[in-house]
This record gives sequence, C-alpha cells and structure tokens, in this order.
Amino acid sequence: MSLPYYHVNVFTGIKSCKVMEDPQALAKIAKKAQRPLLVLGPQCGEVNLGGKQLLDYAIEIAKTLGAAICATANVKKKLLEAGVTPDSTYDAVEIINHLKDPAWKGVKKEGNHDFVMFLGIRPDLGNQGLSTLKHFAPHLKTATLCKYVFPNANFSLPNLKNDKWKEYLDNMVQGLKS
Amino acid sequence: MSKGAVKQKEINKTIRAEDNWEPIGPTPMPEMSDLRRWDMRLMKTYKPFYAPFCDLCCFCTYGKCDLTEDKKGACGINISGQQGRWGLIFSLMGCAAHGAHGRHLIDYLIEKYGEDYKIDLGGQVDVEAPHMRTVMGLKPETLGDLRKGIEFVERGIIHGVSATHMGQEGSDLDFESKSLHIGMLDHVAMEVADIAQTIGFKFPTSKAETGLSGLGWGAVDKTKPVVTCVGHNAAVASVMIDHLMKAGIYDQVEVTGICCTAHDNIRYSDRAKVIGPLSKQVFFLKTGIADLIMSDEQCVRCDIPQLAKESGSALIATSDKISYGLDDVTHKEVDEIVRLIIEEGKQVLIRDVDKAGEVAAKVLPVVAKNRKKELVTKEKAQELAQACKKCELCDRVCPNFLNISTAVSDVKEGKFDMMTSVFARCVGCGKCEQECSKDVPIIKIMQAAASWDTYNIRVGRGPIQDVEIRKVGAPIVLGTIPGIIAIVGCSNFPEEIEEVAEIAEEFAKRKYIVVLSGCAAMAAGMKKDADGKTIYDKYKPDFDAGGVLNVGSCVANSHITGAAMKVANIFAKLPLRANYEVIADYILNRVGAVGLVWGSYSQKAFAIGAGCNRLGIPVVLGPHSAKYRKLYLSRKEEDDWTVMDGRKKELVNTEEPSPEHLLVVTESKERAIITLARLCIRKNDTAQGRQIKLNHYISLYKQYMGSLPDDLQNFVRNDKDIPIVYKKEVIEYLKTVGWKPKPLLTLPTFIGTYESNIPIDAVVK
Ligand code: SF4
Ligand code: SF4
Ligand code: SF4
Repeated sequence: MSLPYYHVNVFTGIKSCKVMEDPQALAKIAKKAQRPLLVLGPQCGEVNLGGKQLLDYAIEIAKTLGAAICATANVKKKLLEAGVTPDSTYDAVEIINHLKDPAWKGVKKEGNHDFVMFLGIRPDLGNQGLSTLKHFAPHLKTATLCKYVFPNANFSLPNLKNDKWKEYLDNMVQGLKS
Repeated sequence: MSKGAVKQKEINKTIRAEDNWEPIGPTPMPEMSDLRRWDMRLMKTYKPFYAPFCDLCCFCTYGKCDLTEDKKGACGINISGQQGRWGLIFSLMGCAAHGAHGRHLIDYLIEKYGEDYKIDLGGQVDVEAPHMRTVMGLKPETLGDLRKGIEFVERGIIHGVSATHMGQEGSDLDFESKSLHIGMLDHVAMEVADIAQTIGFKFPTSKAETGLSGLGWGAVDKTKPVVTCVGHNAAVASVMIDHLMKAGIYDQVEVTGICCTAHDNIRYSDRAKVIGPLSKQVFFLKTGIADLIMSDEQCVRCDIPQLAKESGSALIATSDKISYGLDDVTHKEVDEIVRLIIEEGKQVLIRDVDKAGEVAAKVLPVVAKNRKKELVTKEKAQELAQACKKCELCDRVCPNFLNISTAVSDVKEGKFDMMTSVFARCVGCGKCEQECSKDVPIIKIMQAAASWDTYNIRVGRGPIQDVEIRKVGAPIVLGTIPGIIAIVGCSNFPEEIEEVAEIAEEFAKRKYIVVLSGCAAMAAGMKKDADGKTIYDKYKPDFDAGGVLNVGSCVANSHITGAAMKVANIFAKLPLRANYEVIADYILNRVGAVGLVWGSYSQKAFAIGAGCNRLGIPVVLGPHSAKYRKLYLSRKEEDDWTVMDGRKKELVNTEEPSPEHLLVVTESKERAIITLARLCIRKNDTAQGRQIKLNHYISLYKQYMGSLPDDLQNFVRNDKDIPIVYKKEVIEYLKTVGWKPKPLLTLPTFIGTYESNIPIDAVVK
C-alpha cells in the first residue's frame, strides 16, 4: 500500500489504489473506457505548471479522450472563459451521488460512466468522495490525476513535485494521442 | 412501545397538561421512534449519502472487520449501517456536550436561586422556549421547568447510546432517524442552557441593538493583567468579573475569551473582549499574553497545561469534564489555593464555580506582576526560522494543505507575506510544529506575520423578538425577504478566515436576514472594509431584511431554529405544543431558512445540523465536513418532488427540487454562496417572492459561474416567476431546454404523502 502525501485526512483502510508510475499505462487504461468522465475541481483554475494552466491539461485530456466534463465548485466560469462549455455542473458530492447509481444516465444522457477521472479537488474532499465510490460504486473505476496518492481511487498518480507532475501529464496526453 | 396509562400520566404531569395555553399536539415528549415516520419521509427525498472515512469497524473484539464494498462485519452490520452508527454517535456526543453544559448551569442556578426562579426574557419575548414547547409540550416558567427539559434530553441520550452498542441497531436509516431525534433533543438542550444563563446572569434580552465589543488578539491591552477564558461555560467567568468589580480593579485588567465563553462574557459585561475563534487558541496561548488561563468546557485543547507552562501563564481548570489530571483543590480555602498558584506555580482544578471565580480574581493581578510579555518580532522570527531545512514534513501534516515550508523559508530571508497568508488559513491544530524535526516554532513565528488589528463584534442578543417575527413572518413565507442565512459553527475553515465575512456580506447587502453565532460570528467581525468598518458596523442588528445579527454562543443557535418555529406559530398561527411534525413540515416547505457551517469540525456542530435537518432546515457545510462521512442529498432530476396541496388536498408533482438538499458539502466559497441562494427557494413562494429569489440566484450564478444557472428550468413555475431584468435571456434559455410551465400550488406539505397520524387540516390555518 502506498502512503498518501498528506498524512492527515487521507489515510484509509485496507483496499487501496494502484499507483500508476507509468503515465502511458494510465493513458492505456483510460482509452479503454466506453464513457469516460473528467471531474474538475477549483485547483484547475489556480495551478500553473511551467506556464501551462492545469485547466488546459484538463481540456486537452478531455478532448483527446472524448471524455465528458463535469465542472464542480466554480470551475465552470474558468472553463467558459477558456471557451469550453462543460457537459455538466455539479458540486463534487453531487456528481458522486449520481455516479454511485449504476442506472444513472450520465452527464450526456448516454448511460452512466465507466471510468471517472478527478483533477483539482481538495485532497480531503476528493478522497472522501472516492471512498463513496470505492464502497458504493463497484460498477465504475476511478482515477486521480492530481499530484498526490489518493488511496481510495482505483488508479492514482504517485506523490510528485510540480515539475514531475507536468512531465507526467505531458506524457499521459502523448499516450492518449498515440 | 406505545405509551401506557402510567407513562401518559407521567407526561401529563411533567408538561402540566391541564394548562391550556395551546391544545396538546400528537407527540408530547416524544420517544426515540415517535417521529420516525417523519424522518423516513425526509429520507425518501433526501437520502443518506455516505463517504466512509475508514473501511473498517473496530468497535468490538469480534473485529476488526473489513466492511469494504458489500462485506459485512462479524455482527452482520454493513458499511452503510456503520456510517449511520457513526452519525448517531456524533449526534449523541454533541447533544451530550450541550446537555451536560445545560445541566451544570441549571444545577448551579437552582442552588443559587431555587427551582421556582422565574423565566423572564423581557417584554418582547413571549414565546420564550419554542423548542421546549414544540418538542415536549411544556411551556417552561421556572428554572425547575428548565431542569425538566434537561431530564428529557438525558433520557433520550441513554436510549440513543444503547442503540450504538454492537448487536443493536443495524439499519442505516434507523441510525439516521435516531441521529435526527438526538439532533432535535440537542436544540432543546441548547435552548435550556441559553435561557438558564440569560436569566441567571442577566444577559441582554428583548433588545436588538446590543453593543459592540472588542475583537481580536490585537484588541487586548497587554500592559494590563490579562485573563483568558477558554471554552463554553459562562458561570465561572461571570463570578470572577463580579469579584474583580468588588475589588475595584475590573477596569485595570483585561477579561478575554476564546470560543463561546467569550460570547457569554461580553453578554455579561461589555468591557470583556473576544480574542477570536477556536482556530486561534494555540496561537494566542503561545503568545503568553494571558497571565491567567481559565478553562471550562467544550472545544478546549487537551494540552492547555503544557501550553500554559510553556508560556508561563497560570492555569485554573474549572470543569470536571476537563480535569487534565490536575490536583483537585476544590475543598481547600480560597487563600490556600491562591498561595498554591502564586507561590508554588501550581495548576489546579477547582470544581466550585464561586470559589474558582474568587480565586481567579485574586490571583490575576499578582501573577501578572511577575511576568514579562514579549511578542516575537520580525527579527526574532527570522532568527527562529533559520533552523528550517525545508524538508516539507510540516506541509504533509497540515489539514488545510498549507505550504508552510515555503512560508518558513521565506521568513528565513525576512519575507513575511507567505506566512501571513498561511496564518490567515491556519486552523490552529499545531501539527506542523509537532512534526518539525528541527523544532522550528512555526506558530510562534506566526506572531510576526499576523495582523494585530482591532476588530469588533456585536454582543449576542439571545432570542429573536416576537415583534420582529410578526414583522418579517409574511415576507419570509411569501418569499419577498429572500431568505434567512444562518452562519454558525466552528472555525475549521477551508480558506482565509475572511471568507465568513465575505459570505455574510454578500447576503446582507442583498437583503437576506443574516444571523450568526459561535465562532462564525467572531470570524465575521474579522474583516474591515476600506473605511475600516466590519459588517457589525455596517449592517443593522435587526432580524429583518439586510440585518446582520449575532445571537450569541453555540447554545444560542437554538434561537435561530426557534425563530423559524416562531414564524410558524406567531405568523401562521400553528400551535407549537407537542406539534413537532407539523411545525417541521411548515418550515421545510415554507420558510426559506438555510444554515451555513463553513468551518464545522465538532460533534456539537454535527448534532446542531441534525436538529436543523429534522426541523426542515437545510444546512450547507464546508469541505472539511466531508469527514463527517454523511450527507442528505436529493437527485434533482431523478427524484419525485410530489407534495400535497394542503388546501385542495390533492397530490401535486411539482417537479421542483426545493429545497434541493438537506445536508450538503460545498468546496469553495463561491459554490457555497450559490448553493445557499438556491436552497432558500421554497414551493410556497409567491410569484413576486420567487422573482426576487431567482433574481439573486441568477445574479450570483452569473457572478461566480459566468452563465445562467443550468438548473434554472427547475425553479421557474411560469413566466411570472422570471425576474424582469433577466426576462429576455431566461425565456431564450428556457426554450433551448424545452421548459414547460409547472403546476402551482398554494399550500405545499409533506403531510398526506406518507403514513402519518397528522390530518392534512392540521397544516391549514
Ligand atoms: S461491531 Fe460488528 S463490525 Fe464492528 S468490530 Fe464488532 S463485529 Fe465487527
Ligand atoms: S518541518 Fe520544520 S524543517 Fe521541515 S520544512 Fe517545516 S519548518 Fe522547515
Ligand atoms: S497549525 Fe496551522 S499551519 Fe500548522 S498544520 Fe495546523 S493548520 Fe496547518
């Protein structure tokens, strides 16, 4: 079991994530998804990785993968400013509440999502939401794209510094394109 | 178990059934399951949502048991049941804290004044105890009657605790129902405690315009002897103030407080000062400004004896709920205790309120004389930071994910901006400093980065006046006052402390009624505008459109929920007496009141929330509260929003998710504001009221999200609801989403949508 970066708030029990050291491998898993969803939190509009906004990575990943976007908190405003209309707007706990229902129609009304990626949500809230999905949504797989280990996800990035995180996301985008 | 004749007789005696101030409703002194059907109805729409904090249960020696996914424990409980059990436990802890607080005050005051001491809340408060009236069916007249309230709560707590035992309750819904029941009792306990202290210590009541008191660590005159009361129980501090006055030295000392005792101190004496919320406890105590620390109960750090030693402050613990392993000197003479503290430097426990107050007043000027108070200067801070190796261990334990290591490194180079920003977001847990292998005194360093400005806070005013309810009842129910926003609870804030003032002001300037209490009321005073004014300077303290008022400490929260009950009673003329279900139904469907607990951390806050929810008041929480592991959420598109039209006695599918959630976490300030505005919408709104509410919702949504709300179609019943300023774009938008007019109804109620003994006519007056 990998230790999360934050030693408080995000400790978990005995079922823990697979840490994906290789961004290409994570990209491969994502590409297999039928109806991927990318859930974006407020850090997307705040974090800059070597001149590129986290939000731009999010948009690039969603576009490349054909993933639907759910904007939580106040991310919708940032997305609209970037010329992207999100497929849905919920707060984090609301989208998670929908996702745990296997019969939900999904944000595009095409059926519930099978692979949900999270980026930019506060680590404590994010890990709690992932716990809900770990326990109550066995029908879907979750992945986090933030720079820390999220034990309650199915797939998580390792604990990374910003420069390595940027490298990871760049490689992942490459992987999604190839 | 249905109530037998003996029990019925006991209830009749307790509530003086023969008094006919109102007819006795269906549920006098309800037991654990008497309102269960109401809870189940609530949870049909607002289903429990669980986010387990841990996969295991370790409650008994059958376990540990792994409850991941659909696994059950050795006793048969599943993960949902276990989360429900946690919820019940939290509610019980919170309710017990308020209940035992109330019990202490009442026992003390009955010893002092006798049980026949009359309740008198002044000429403007006739409905003195809406919770006791509604829940129990008792109109309390004396301290002895208040004790009946506490006894009723105590009985409920035993039952509740028993259900958490291994091999008892197993269903998540039943745990929730019990948790809601205990939450309801919590409001009774708080009401009892606040009425007791108001009449016992002669706090202001029946007065809206209470004074302003000094707020912030910068407000304290460090050159004077300083006593700091930490906790929630006003008894000892008020006795101490009396002794200081008697000795003629009250104006030569500073009586300060952290957390709710501070609220009560300023209600007792306008010379007292509020340091700030709980999140500044460690910070302040480490400054050493307090010559004497007096701890009482609730939200007091467990390591105060060490903190006091470190800072050279004297310490008197005054509650047997927090004894710290100190010598109990209650039996000794006052002068002997004073000697022990002054000459031997002893930290002591004094369980006698009068003795503790007297000792404190005697000790304070003497201990202060022997102490030097020096704050950490910028130069000193820079020196203290030199040991930092930027290992980032501090960052990894910070519950607010703050970049402390960079802030400390900056201080090393004489740069303080980053540390100022860390301090503004710091929730005062002390973990960073504890983790540092280089022993960098991070929290002391914050002294050089913190603002030492002086702020102010409106003195808590206790109950809302009946005359105010008479004035605002109609506009609240019709929707023309867009809502009551109650900003309450603790200081586990996700971002800067100033966000509380910003949220409060956003609604005050839009003419909502903004009511505050507890640590949130303190935080709200800690922001000044360009003219140096806080929201307490800027907004009138009335329970009216655009008012910003502070009811007082945590236990005064009962007056906020009590105000909603009074709207049902004074404005809508519904009887309160033992009529909980009808009153809760009225509030849920017709009173646009919403709570915000932005920095919720305690079990008390959890219990208060549960009490609000059972009463039909939705609560919005900050992100830390995801760790409470439970919410009550609806799913707007999927759920059934059918209610009864009470007048026509017809079921109507309103298709309107109002209020959308009962208990919801939001991540950012902006999202919280939008959610609060949305949760004020009620099916009962008139077209004019709905226009006003939607006007604010749309304008806030546009401000923070950059577009029209994407759920607007849910709240427009017909074109009369559309705010004029947005008419054109709203109509265009509604066309694109295929909106159709929705049925209108005049008297929405849940009664009649589930099995209940309440006739529909009971909600029509
Ligand atoms: S209470 Fe039940 S689930 Fe918990 S440890 Fe005991 S047997 Fe296991
Ligand atoms: S833990 Fe101590 S040494 Fe390490 S970065 Fe934080 S302050 Fe510096
Ligand atoms: S004391 Fe403040 S800065 Fe330090 S870990 Fe706690 S919240 Fe973070």
